[in-house]
Amino acid sequence: MRRCTDLTLKGRGYAGKILYVDLTKSKIWTEPLDEKIAYLLLGGKGLGIWLLYKLTRKNENPFSPNMPLIFAIGPLTGTSAPTSSKTCIVTKSPATGTLLDSYCGGFFGSELKYAGYDCLVIIGKANEPSILVIDDDNVDIRPAGQLWGLTTLEAEKEIKKTLGEGFKTMVIGPAGERLSPIAGVFSNLRCAGRGGAGAVMGSKKLKAIAVRGSQPVHVYDEKEFNKMAWVAHRTLRMSESTARTMRIYGTANILLVVNEAGALPTRNFQTGRFEDAEEISGERFRETLWVRDFSCSLNCPIACSKIAVVNDKRFGEITVDGPDYETIFSLGSNCGVSDRNAIAYANYICDLYGIDTISVGGIIAFVMELYEKGHITSEELEGIDAKWGNAEALIRLVEKIAKGEGIGSFLELGVKRIAEKYPNSKAYAMEVKGLELPGYEPRAAQGMGLCYAISERGACHLRAYTAGGELLGHLGGIDPLIYDRTKVMYAIDRQDEKAVIDSSVLCFFTLFGLRLKEVYQMILPCTGFNYESEKELKRVGERIITLARLYNVREGFGMSNDYLPERLLKEPLPEGPAKGMVVYLEPMLKEYYKARGWDENGIPKPEKIDELRLSEII
Amino acid sequence: MSVGKNIRMNSIFNPDDGKCVMLPVDHNFLVGPIRGLENVEETLKRALMGRLDAVMVSPGQAKRLAHLFRKRGSPALVIRGDWSNAFREKTYTLPVRSIQEILIAHPRDLLHLGATGAVIYYFVGYGDEEKQAQHYERMRWFIKNCEAVELPCLVTVMPMGEKVSGANFVDFLELGVRMAVEAGADMLEVPYTQDVDTFRRIVAAAKGVPVLCAGGPKAARLRDTLEIVVELLHAGASGVVFGRQVFQSEDPAALLNMLYALVHEGKTVEEVLGLIGRRIRLKTLAEKCIGCRLCEIICSSSHGSSFSMGKARLRIREAQGKYVISTCTLCGLCAKACPVGAIKVNVELGRLEFNEEKCIGCGKCVEACPTEVLKLDEKGKPLICDRCQGDPQCVRWCPVEAIIAEVY
Repeated sequence: MRRCTDLTLKGRGYAGKILYVDLTKSKIWTEPLDEKIAYLLLGGKGLGIWLLYKLTRKNENPFSPNMPLIFAIGPLTGTSAPTSSKTCIVTKSPATGTLLDSYCGGFFGSELKYAGYDCLVIIGKANEPSILVIDDDNVDIRPAGQLWGLTTLEAEKEIKKTLGEGFKTMVIGPAGERLSPIAGVFSNLRCAGRGGAGAVMGSKKLKAIAVRGSQPVHVYDEKEFNKMAWVAHRTLRMSESTARTMRIYGTANILLVVNEAGALPTRNFQTGRFEDAEEISGERFRETLWVRDFSCSLNCPIACSKIAVVNDKRFGEITVDGPDYETIFSLGSNCGVSDRNAIAYANYICDLYGIDTISVGGIIAFVMELYEKGHITSEELEGIDAKWGNAEALIRLVEKIAKGEGIGSFLELGVKRIAEKYPNSKAYAMEVKGLELPGYEPRAAQGMGLCYAISERGACHLRAYTAGGELLGHLGGIDPLIYDRTKVMYAIDRQDEKAVIDSSVLCFFTLFGLRLKEVYQMILPCTGFNYESEKELKRVGERIITLARLYNVREGFGMSNDYLPERLLKEPLPEGPAKGMVVYLEPMLKEYYKARGWDENGIPKPEKIDELRLSEII
Repeated sequence: MSVGKNIRMNSIFNPDDGKCVMLPVDHNFLVGPIRGLENVEETLKRALMGRLDAVMVSPGQAKRLAHLFRKRGSPALVIRGDWSNAFREKTYTLPVRSIQEILIAHPRDLLHLGATGAVIYYFVGYGDEEKQAQHYERMRWFIKNCEAVELPCLVTVMPMGEKVSGANFVDFLELGVRMAVEAGADMLEVPYTQDVDTFRRIVAAAKGVPVLCAGGPKAARLRDTLEIVVELLHAGASGVVFGRQVFQSEDPAALLNMLYALVHEGKTVEEVLGLIGRRIRLKTLAEKCIGCRLCEIICSSSHGSSFSMGKARLRIREAQGKYVISTCTLCGLCAKACPVGAIKVNVELGRLEFNEEKCIGCGKCVEACPTEVLKLDEKGKPLICDRCQGDPQCVRWCPVEAIIAEVY
């Protein structure tokens, strides 16, 4: 087994190259990946954000040809590390105007590394709908022809037919083509859903990217690396959550526990307990719809993904990947819907047209509350009776929004924009910075309130994910209802760790079994970097979070944007273990800024920027 | 060490090698009724047919099941003196909001129940410092009173609490071990840190106090469990406290005997599993396959091609919503097709042998391969499956045992 003695990055997990594609000028070139950047930011999220920062000026429009669309992978991508084929997509969000980093499963990421690149940066705008084909060193832009207008599934099938099985793809659906702010980028049944990355891709008239690679990935010390990858794999195999519960019940395995804790958002976050939670639990989906488990990414031992086959006289037989927990909450409990088939079908429509299920569910829930309160009528909704729990209304609304038809073309603009039309609805417009809220009730898990408020891309749970400890007992658990310094420090630890995962690039769920130690033990023999301890690796995470903040600050975001919907701050939760609670955001936010070394307005202080060596690279 | 304590320690740890195989069955009052312990007496009866040194029980179990431990040569009895809610599982029960640990017996009470040793938890990592101090005080009080009646005290050290995170788990474990040693613990139980180097740190921190390793939730693969035992012994551990690994397996006594062989007889995993010098073939169970392709990546790496999907000696394909696993079935058609005899079938060992120098790169072997698994590398030479010289890596790494090695 080889040991790399080369001092450059190539052969140390990295390919050492960034591929640039200018669609306007049809120019294609590569640039070396800087070793200092790799050492300080690892790759993936860190590399993507740094490139976005450097390549754009302040206030660049997300749909401008100058806006880069970045596909970044990390040193562990393509190796024997678990879940090592995920891709991090970085750009500016058309929904929020903030930084957008979005993660997609599938096998695209590892293939990009095998083709010889650590990152793909796409700028410009093609003059006709196009597809980008990367075959090792041979990169070219081809007309998309008939592909434009196809659903995500049809497009991928067509590309496979034309180019062959060996190519891995990233595609957008019709929603991305029409620049819907809730459009995602899809790959092999998985997607980078949130924030509208699909719209940015659509604005470049880029339908798809296909990549195939034949070059092996080398690491610094392969023997030692495999030893550590073995430990990581074994740890995941021996951890109850990643070895059993996620496999059997998928991500939905947490639904009943979250509901029990009074934290399952129901009817547009009116309450945290859904009376029909049992009907939409992972257990029930397993019994009725799921037929197969599969790994969505390379070397994933968890296999949380599920294939559902639904047979219903309303829509015939459909096959869909999912539904996952967030989809079940957003199209289920949050709309009062307990019809499993309808939820699965709605998921299917979202996948076909290429939109984010969390945002679409948040939009529908908002519409249902407006309807309940009489602010929006059935006429305006083109005959839809948008009552809570009405599965037919759910299906019809999802179809309209996914296709951008009729009222759908307004609704797809998101809760924040819809609320502007209904002046008294702001209090229950469940969005932060323009992104709809995910499936944890923050009044019953205070840390998630902080998480939603400070996340770089708007309300997102995948950042300072405190729910693991607050609701699921991870690492011994933490009291969900405290909002003191302990909770804030716990949130910061989670956020830093996640940033490391997002830059390596591994799947979030590895953290349900691994600790930072196992990641550290892989990164060292992979890259040969001399991080003294796992604390220094955690520092990389801290650095990346601060860099992300600096980008948002540059784009004009500050403390006033780190808010939560009024419902969470003023309306006490009506039932459950957290009955009577609101989110005590202010003290948490203050403590968060302080602990991060940012000033009272949430702007990183110069000393912190120096301490984290960010001043050397931006 | 005093006479009484010495006798008891030698009952728990075999005096010839200082090691111990301990079976805990006290889970029910800590985590709720779990699989394998629905009927503790039945489980214990089955397990006691295997070889072990000690059993860990609750005071109630010690009282009720005393008749099982009356025989000569019965395992030593280690009785738990505390209770905690920290291990409550999340399924169908609310996870804990506040970690609690309380003493439920005076060491004298445990002595009266026939204890050879006592066991309590020590958690380190509480957010509330007063709570941390109180736990330390409780631990010292308990150990002091154990000392008064010559009862050896086992402390189970666990990083637990708001301060514990992914980055400091091992640090907290090390701190907790030092704290327990200084409080007078006679033996320690710790979770495995998942690798030898960090575990060595923990053993070193114990300064000579014997360290036993906890088993945790049942591993899906027997081989993982056994390999971990060898690793931790290598790192200086004095044995294991394996509960679920044992009583959630199909044959608890057989598993205990394997553990005993590893811990007390220095056997290797291959010896215990009966793999030495046996002829094996690859058996595939495609319905188990989850399509992760780790087998292909590790095959490539094990044969010197680093990480590359195209260099594997096996292939996973997706067809009609199912996965198909193609491996070398040792049909020998490639050997027959080879015009220069570069490929030979070694019938005795059950694998192909490839002479690279003889190979002329004609590719006839690839054409002949019925499973379409055989490929050529960039030099035009076939990538021959050699069963990794008897320890197939695809088998070793497959997370769901969709490829297994069958002795024939």
